Amino acid sequence: MALLLKGELRSKLQAELPAALDVRWANQATAPETAEHAGALPVLIEDDAVVHAAQIVPVAHFLRDTLGYDYLSNITVVDYLAFSIMELVYQFYNTTAGGADVRVRVRIGRTPEACIVPSLSPTWPGANLQEREAYDMYGVVFPGHPNLARVYMWDEFKGFPMRKDFPKTGDKYTHVTGE
Amino acid sequence: MTLANRQGTGVVVPVERNDQRFRAGQGTAAGLSIVFRKFRKALFGKPNSDRSDTEGQFNVQYPEERLALPEAYRNMPILLFDDATGHELCTSCFQCERVCPPQVIHITQAKDPATGKPVPSAAEFIIEYDTCMSCGYCAEVCPFDAIKMDHDYELSTSNHPELDVNYNRLLRPVSYYETIAPTLWNDVRESAMKKLQNNIKRRPGAIGVDHGQKVGAKAAPAAVARPAEPAGGGASAVAPAAKRASVAAIGKSMSEERLAKLQSIRAANQSKRGGAGAPIDTAHAVEADVAVQPSTAQVAAPDAATPGSVAPGATGPVAAVGTNMSEEKRAKLEAIRAAKRAQEGE
Amino acid sequence: MLKTEELRINIGPQHPSTHGVFRMLVTVDGETLVDLKPVFGYLHRNHEQLGEVNSYLQNMPFTDRLDYFNSMINNHAYARSVEMLAGIEVPERAQYIRVIMDELSRILNHATALGFMLGDMGAWQTALLWGLREREKILDLFEYVSGARMMCNYARFGGVARDIDDYFITETRKLMDGLPHYFDDFEGLLTNSEILLARARNIGVLPKDLALSYSVTGPVLRASGVPYDIRRAEPYAVYDRFDFDIPVGTVGDVYDRFLVRIAEMRQAYRILEQAFQQLPEASGGHINPKVKQQSLKPPIGEAYARVESPKGELGFYLVSDGTGNAYRYKVRAPSFINLTALADMCKGYKLADAMVILGSIDIVMGEVDR
Repeated sequence: MALLLKGELRSKLQAELPAALDVRWANQATAPETAEHAGALPVLIEDDAVVHAAQIVPVAHFLRDTLGYDYLSNITVVDYLAFSIMELVYQFYNTTAGGADVRVRVRIGRTPEACIVPSLSPTWPGANLQEREAYDMYGVVFPGHPNLARVYMWDEFKGFPMRKDFPKTGDKYTHVTGE
Repeated sequence: MTLANRQGTGVVVPVERNDQRFRAGQGTAAGLSIVFRKFRKALFGKPNSDRSDTEGQFNVQYPEERLALPEAYRNMPILLFDDATGHELCTSCFQCERVCPPQVIHITQAKDPATGKPVPSAAEFIIEYDTCMSCGYCAEVCPFDAIKMDHDYELSTSNHPELDVNYNRLLRPVSYYETIAPTLWNDVRESAMKKLQNNIKRRPGAIGVDHGQKVGAKAAPAAVARPAEPAGGGASAVAPAAKRASVAAIGKSMSEERLAKLQSIRAANQSKRGGAGAPIDTAHAVEADVAVQPSTAQVAAPDAATPGSVAPGATGPVAAVGTNMSEEKRAKLEAIRAAKRAQEGE
Repeated sequence: MLKTEELRINIGPQHPSTHGVFRMLVTVDGETLVDLKPVFGYLHRNHEQLGEVNSYLQNMPFTDRLDYFNSMINNHAYARSVEMLAGIEVPERAQYIRVIMDELSRILNHATALGFMLGDMGAWQTALLWGLREREKILDLFEYVSGARMMCNYARFGGVARDIDDYFITETRKLMDGLPHYFDDFEGLLTNSEILLARARNIGVLPKDLALSYSVTGPVLRASGVPYDIRRAEPYAVYDRFDFDIPVGTVGDVYDRFLVRIAEMRQAYRILEQAFQQLPEASGGHINPKVKQQSLKPPIGEAYARVESPKGELGFYLVSDGTGNAYRYKVRAPSFINLTALADMCKGYKLADAMVILGSIDIVMGEVDR
C-alpha cells in the first residue's frame, strides 16, 4: 500500500466514505495571526481529515484495510475550552511503507451528552489503554469499550484532571496549605 | 562522499533460534565456564580494571575510596563570593528564580537603607535543597556566574528544616569552586570578575559582604559549612585514591606530553619557591600501564605538602587545582598564588 | 469430584519483579493463569499537566524522569518535538552527538533489561550485574558530559547543552573495545542455556497480526516479526547515514525478544562506530546559537516527533498557543502502550511465567504512569 500524500486522506474519504467527513469544519481553514485568544485555535490544515464521532470506526477500518495504515500510534485529546470543543487526534502509521503519519480528528462538545465517541477497542485492541486514559483525564466516554475504568486516578475520584477547567491548585482532595 | 550524501543501508535479519540443536546441558555448562573464568579473573586479576575490561575487580570501597567527580557534575547549587574583597557575585537579577523548574529559589533583593532603592545584591537567598532537581539551569542562566553547582553529595540529614538553605550557608569562596571545577571557572573568571567590579561600585556600605563571609578568606573546602568533613580525611583519601587512579581518572583530560610539560613547569615553580614540598615522584606506586592517571596522585601530593595552599579536600584527586589547565594558565595560577602567599606573609 | 475454584492473586505494587510500582490482579486456575488485570497509576505524577504549566525549557528536566533509564532519549525526543514546533534547525554535529548518546542509551538499556528479566527468571543477579557494570561505565560517560548520571538534562532546543571533547571520545572508544567481548560473554552464558530455553521458549507468544493491532512497538514488535523501526521507517537525526540491520524474531516469544535485544545491542555498537568515524567531518557546533532557550515562544500549531527508544516508539505531541507554555503536552509512552498486550500474552501460561513475560516487555513505570 502506498503512502498517502498530504491532503489525500480528505479526498479519499470524500470519495469512499462521504458520510464520515465532518463538514462543519470544512470551511474553517484559517491560520490565526495572534495568540491573544484564550487557548490555541484549532488549526485546520489542508491535509486534515475531521470526521464525525460516530464514523470513527468505519474510517479507522478503511485506513487499515484499504489504505494499509495498520498501526495506531496515538489517541490524544486536546481540550479547547475557549471553543467548547474537545478534539481527539488519531495518528495512524503504515508499517510496510514507513513514512509519516495520517491524522484523523474528531471534534466533540464538552458536555456529558456530547462527549461520546464509539470505541475502537473491540476491533483494534491497541486503543484500549489510550481510550481509558482519555476517559480518565478528560471524561470522554467510549461506548463499546470492554473496560472503561480510570487508569491513573483511583476509581472513586471525581472530576477529570486534565480538562482546562479543572483547578490546578487545590481541590477537594488536596489541602491547600499556606506557603 | 560528503556526509550529507551518505546513504545508510541495512537488511532485516531474523534472529537465530537454533531450534534444531540437541541439548543435553552443554549450553549451561558452556555458560558456567564463562562464569568461572570471570570469577577467576576477579579473584586473582588486577584490581581497578579499566573501562575496556569486562573482567576483573571494579569495586570502589566507598567511603574509604571515592570516585573522582567530573567537573560538570551537578548536585546542589551554591553561591560564590570573591576571596579578596568578600563581595558576593550575586546581583539578585532573579534569572535563576525564574528558570528554576521546581521553583525552589527564593530571592529578596537588597535595598539601599538610605534611599530605599534596589541595589545589585541579594538580601536573602533561600534554596530548598530537598526539592531541588539538580537540573543545573540556575547555573546555566546566571549572567554573573554567581550560582554554581556544587559537587558535595553527602547531604543526608535527619533534620528536615535544615534543607531550606539560606544565604549564609550557600556562600562559598571562589577559590573553593576553582578547586572543584577549574576549567569551567577559568573560562568565565575574567568576565565574572569584571562584572563583579562594576557591581561593587553600585553597592553602598557593607551590602554584598554581610552574610558572614570573611574578607580575604581562603577556605579549605573541607572547612566550609560542612560539619562532618574532616580535613585529614581529604589528604588520606589521596593515598589510597592513588591506587584507585585508573578508575578515579574521570575528569582528567591530559595527554602524556602535556603531563610531562606540566610536571616540568611545576618543578621549575617549586625550585623557584625554594624547593618546598615533595619532589614530583614519577615512579609513584601505580601500575605502569596507566600513564596519565598517576598525575592525580602526584599533583595532589605536592599540593598537600606545599604550605598555605588549598588542601585537596575530601573530594579526592580530581579536586587538585590545575590538573585540567593548560601549561601557561597553570603557571599563571601558580604565580598568582605565590604572590598571594607572599602577601599573606606566612 | 473435587471442586476447584479460581483464585485471585494480587501481584504488586510492592514487588521486586514488577519493574516499579505496578500491580497485577491475576486469576489463576491451579497454576495456570486465566486472566490478568493490570492496575496503573501508582507513579502518576501529573507530568502532562506540569508540561502545560512549565515553559518549554523548564519542562526538559521533567522529561528526564519519564523513562528514567534513558533520559538522553527522552530529552532528544522532547527537543525534537519543540524544534519541529518552532522550526529550529539543529547543526550536524549536534545531531551526531544526539545519536551517540541515543545508541549508548540503547546498549545500556538492553543490557540492564535483559539482566532484570533474567533476575526475574531466577538467575539470581549474575546477568543483571554484568549488565549493570556496563551500564555504570556508560553512566560515567554521561556524567562526564552532562553532569549527572541518570537525569542528564542534556538536549537543548537546537542542539545539546555541552559539546563532547577528546576525553569523552577516548573513553567511549575504550568502552567500545570491551563491548564485543561483553556481548559474546553474555550470549555465551545465556543464549544456549537450557534453563533459559526452558523458561523462555514458547512463553508469552504474541503473534504478528495481534502485535500490530495492539500497537506495540520496539523490540516486542520486532520479535513478533514486524520489521518496523522508526530509525528506518521515518529517519531522524542523521540515522539515514548509517548502515545497520534490523533484527526480527520469528515466533514472538520471550526468547525471541531476548535474542532481538542482544542483536540490537550489536547493531547499536555498529552505529556508534560509524558515528565516531563521521563525527569529525560534521559541520556546525553543538547547538544552534540563535535559539533563545528560556524565552522560546513557538508559533501556534502542533507537532508530533517520535524517536525509537529502546522500549518502543516514544513520541511527544505538543500544541502551542503562541505563549511560552505548551497548550497541550502529551507523551506517547511505549511502555504504557506495550502493556496493552500483557493480558493476552500471559493467558494460558503459568503464574511464574507472568513475571518473565512482564520482564520481556521491558517497562519502566516512570513512563507508564507519567
